[in-house]
Amino acid sequence: MAIVQFENVTKTYTSGDHELKALNDVSFTLDEGKFVVILGPSGAGKSTLLNLLGGLDSPTQGTITVNGRDISTLSDNELADYRAATVGFVFQFYNLIPTLTVYENVALVSEISKDSLDAKQMIAQVGLSDHLHNFPSELSGGEQQRISIARALAKNPKILLCDEPTGALDSETGVMVLKLLLSMAKNYGKTIVIVTHNQSIAKMADVVIRVKNGRIRSVEEQAEPMSADEVEW
Amino acid sequence: MLIRKLLRTAWGYKAQFISMIIMITLGMGIFLGFNMEWRTIEVDTGRFFSDTNYADYRLYSEKGFTFDDLQKIASIDGVDRATRYLSVNLDIKGEKNKSLALDVSESFNVSTFLVTDGADYDENSDGFWLSDKFAAVNDYAVGDTLTLEFRGVEISGEIVGLIKSGEHMICVADKNQLMPDYSTFGYAYITPKKLRTAVESKMKSTAVDELKKSGIPEAFIDDSLSRLLFTEKDIGEAMDQVYAQINLLSAMDKETLEDAVKEQLGRTIMVTPKDDHVVYQEAMGEAEEGKTMGSVLPVLFLLIAILTMVTTMHRIATKEKLQIGTLKALGFRNRRILRHYTAYGLFIGLVGTGLGMLLGLGVCKLVMSENGMMGTYFDMPDWSAATPAFCYPVMAGTVLLLTLISFLSVRQQLKGTAADALRPYSPKKMRKMLLERFRFWDRMKFGTKWNLRDLSRHKSRSAMTLFGIVGCMILMVGGLGMRDTMAGFLDLLDNDISNYTTKVNLADNADKKDSLSLAAEIGGDWESLGGISLDGDTVTLDVVHNPNGMLNVIDESNRRIDLRDDGVYLCLRLKDRAQIGDTIKFSPYGSSETYTAKVIGYNRAIMTESVTMTASLADRLGIDYTLTAIYSEKDADELPSSELIAGKQDKAQLMETFNSFVQIMDSMVVILVVAAVILGIVVLYNLGIMSYLERSRELATLKVLGFRNRSIGRLLISQNIWLTVVGVIVGLPLGVGVLQWLLTALAGEYEMKLMLGPLTYSVSILLTFGVSLLVGLMVAQKNKKIDMVEALKGTD
Repeated sequence: MAIVQFENVTKTYTSGDHELKALNDVSFTLDEGKFVVILGPSGAGKSTLLNLLGGLDSPTQGTITVNGRDISTLSDNELADYRAATVGFVFQFYNLIPTLTVYENVALVSEISKDSLDAKQMIAQVGLSDHLHNFPSELSGGEQQRISIARALAKNPKILLCDEPTGALDSETGVMVLKLLLSMAKNYGKTIVIVTHNQSIAKMADVVIRVKNGRIRSVEEQAEPMSADEVEW
Repeated sequence: MLIRKLLRTAWGYKAQFISMIIMITLGMGIFLGFNMEWRTIEVDTGRFFSDTNYADYRLYSEKGFTFDDLQKIASIDGVDRATRYLSVNLDIKGEKNKSLALDVSESFNVSTFLVTDGADYDENSDGFWLSDKFAAVNDYAVGDTLTLEFRGVEISGEIVGLIKSGEHMICVADKNQLMPDYSTFGYAYITPKKLRTAVESKMKSTAVDELKKSGIPEAFIDDSLSRLLFTEKDIGEAMDQVYAQINLLSAMDKETLEDAVKEQLGRTIMVTPKDDHVVYQEAMGEAEEGKTMGSVLPVLFLLIAILTMVTTMHRIATKEKLQIGTLKALGFRNRRILRHYTAYGLFIGLVGTGLGMLLGLGVCKLVMSENGMMGTYFDMPDWSAATPAFCYPVMAGTVLLLTLISFLSVRQQLKGTAADALRPYSPKKMRKMLLERFRFWDRMKFGTKWNLRDLSRHKSRSAMTLFGIVGCMILMVGGLGMRDTMAGFLDLLDNDISNYTTKVNLADNADKKDSLSLAAEIGGDWESLGGISLDGDTVTLDVVHNPNGMLNVIDESNRRIDLRDDGVYLCLRLKDRAQIGDTIKFSPYGSSETYTAKVIGYNRAIMTESVTMTASLADRLGIDYTLTAIYSEKDADELPSSELIAGKQDKAQLMETFNSFVQIMDSMVVILVVAAVILGIVVLYNLGIMSYLERSRELATLKVLGFRNRSIGRLLISQNIWLTVVGVIVGLPLGVGVLQWLLTALAGEYEMKLMLGPLTYSVSILLTFGVSLLVGLMVAQKNKKIDMVEALKGTD
């Protein structure tokens, strides 16, 4: 069943007289529970795609339907509610709140999500129960990203959106984080969309969408994706 | 190229730059304005006093001074010039409730005047030189006729000139009148020759009366017959009695002059230095008041401005760290980079100080100009603007300090290698706060924890915000409280002290016995004010007879004192001179007697420093006094006319003169409150924007997580509100403290009791919260426009 549907989506950025089409007439659908990788070089439009899907931005043209609801015409508050209930984000630079502890960063989402999961349990699942009362600055990059994954999943969203989640980590830690991300998404039955320029990650995906110059080059379904251990990093 | 960068960077931080310039402008402007005000008073009045030969000393004698006395005084080594002088308050004939101080300077070399219209002084003239301000208010012009009544004789003549005199620069009828009221009181000069004619006419009319009494038919009585009854010598003696004053110019100190006068004349004479003359005393009092005000509130402004500058420059420098690193990596020398960034501070300092000078001049002119607040108080020809010398180093120092602040902020970022400088600024690591050890911490909402930790993480920014709110609160409580205190003081004067309807001022030469009969006829209370020497200082002896409660004496708590006959009351300013039960010794001027009395209480004196006693005690001690005023509940029209009466003053009219004083006070309060609000807005907005920029990444994260704009706005505003609550709690008592300090510092002039109405508290608190909420909303509004995608790029 399709959970995401992009129909003729265009995103144009205007700066003075200059117009830049970051996405140009993009259409595709994603099925629920799949692991999707959006692949493309810098400036291809993959982050714009993720931002539109995440409700951080609205398309200039076209419609985006998520879980049966058109999100392209939502108001600011409706978009905020959509982000709170439907999507969870994992960023390249973690984006934890520096003045909140590990536990507070994860528990924070209970203030906006009616359906949130237990923060301590989520932290235990990413293996950081010993660091409940530490501040983010007291953790390594990998640990911070694990907390970021716990926070994203604690909202109990339908879709997990990850923007270069391993981009700031060394390869060993990156693989570990990726494994954790996939296993947790699978356990909780989430659709996961990762934006990256790392070809290796694409080998693990159910679906690979290649983007270039603001257009979809290909949408490729992989019948037998590799496991993280099989991929050569 | 770097200059272009400087301008563009300044534009990039325009909110901070503009707010810092406003802060420095405000701080410098208020500082300069208040200090220029008092200095201008000193300079302008000083020049006017010098131009009109304002007397350094006034010698008083009820019996008057002979020409021989004058020559003896003038011959004292150290006395530059001296003149016999008369100044007496007289009603204008044909006008209701208008009177003039009539002045005669015999030698016209001391206590003279400047002519603004009409003829110059001529000792043979038969005319009047009238105060130009009085003439303008009452439609008198050169050529009009004026008639005054002097001891039952009419002095009439043409107005030959309009003038300004230092002796009457603050034109009040007596020390109890706070503000001039030219619609009812002014001054005029005549020549000694004209005065002599008036005295001669008086003597003639007395002679005519005597001739009539002796049975000579009226038809035989003419000028030549009546003139036979008195000689030139008699006229001379009468003139001697009229000249109750000698005014002189001398640089001698009071004690030396007093001794020299005693030696020359062989009797004790009341010698009052200009510091005790109402005009000089009030003018210098105003200057002192300005100095006191100029030393507290404006300094507070300047201090807040500089401290905010430290915080803001530091933040800008850290924000510019990457650019500093880039310049360094490109090969720019440290010195060049330092010079570049230091220029920001110099630029802000120069522009802020320049604008501050303009604002200062404006504030000074608002107070010290012919149409300004002091225009109704001082009557003088020239109004300039003078700056105290110390203001120049303060201005230069402020510019230097601001430059130094940017220098130090940038130098900190330049430490280490180019690679170090290129690494982005990392904020301080979070540490647990003390509060987190308590159980209630876990029950707090995330927003509360977030804000508390943010405050503790950015201590200097939080402290500056708090400092701004406290400053805003102090200024408001100080300003509004001053008004309350003044209003309370006037209310006290109107309702508790003065219960009379009319104050009858008695003539200087009024006989005590006659005055007492007049007082009995009129009904009401009376008092006698006279100079005494107490431990070498001139203070007023106030002999009060108030069985009818028309004129009350009040204690420190503003309650009426039922005066007892067994001792004297000292005013609060003399409280440290003697304790209750102690004995004081004093000597009235013009008398060689020394009297002793026990202190039995303290009273709140309205104007002059005084020792108060009942009439029966004064009589028992044998003090020789004359009545100065009768206080009656009757209207002025119902009172009998008498030669003893020099003038009548309606209480309502007297209170009216205070209104212009209150208006001056109101304008000062408006300046302070407006400045406080601007200061509050600028400081809080500047720091609010800084806090917002520093937290924009966190705010964007919250937005991405699904927090609505309103919840994030609430977070931002609630931090402001907490700081405001703390600021108000700290600022309120501090404001009261500053006001109390100001009142104590100004106590030399008045004995006001600190009074703060509920309106002052509520207006100060509400305005401060209003400012904080307004700024909070302005900053929160920015949150709506935050670009989540942009803000989340890059590392922390």
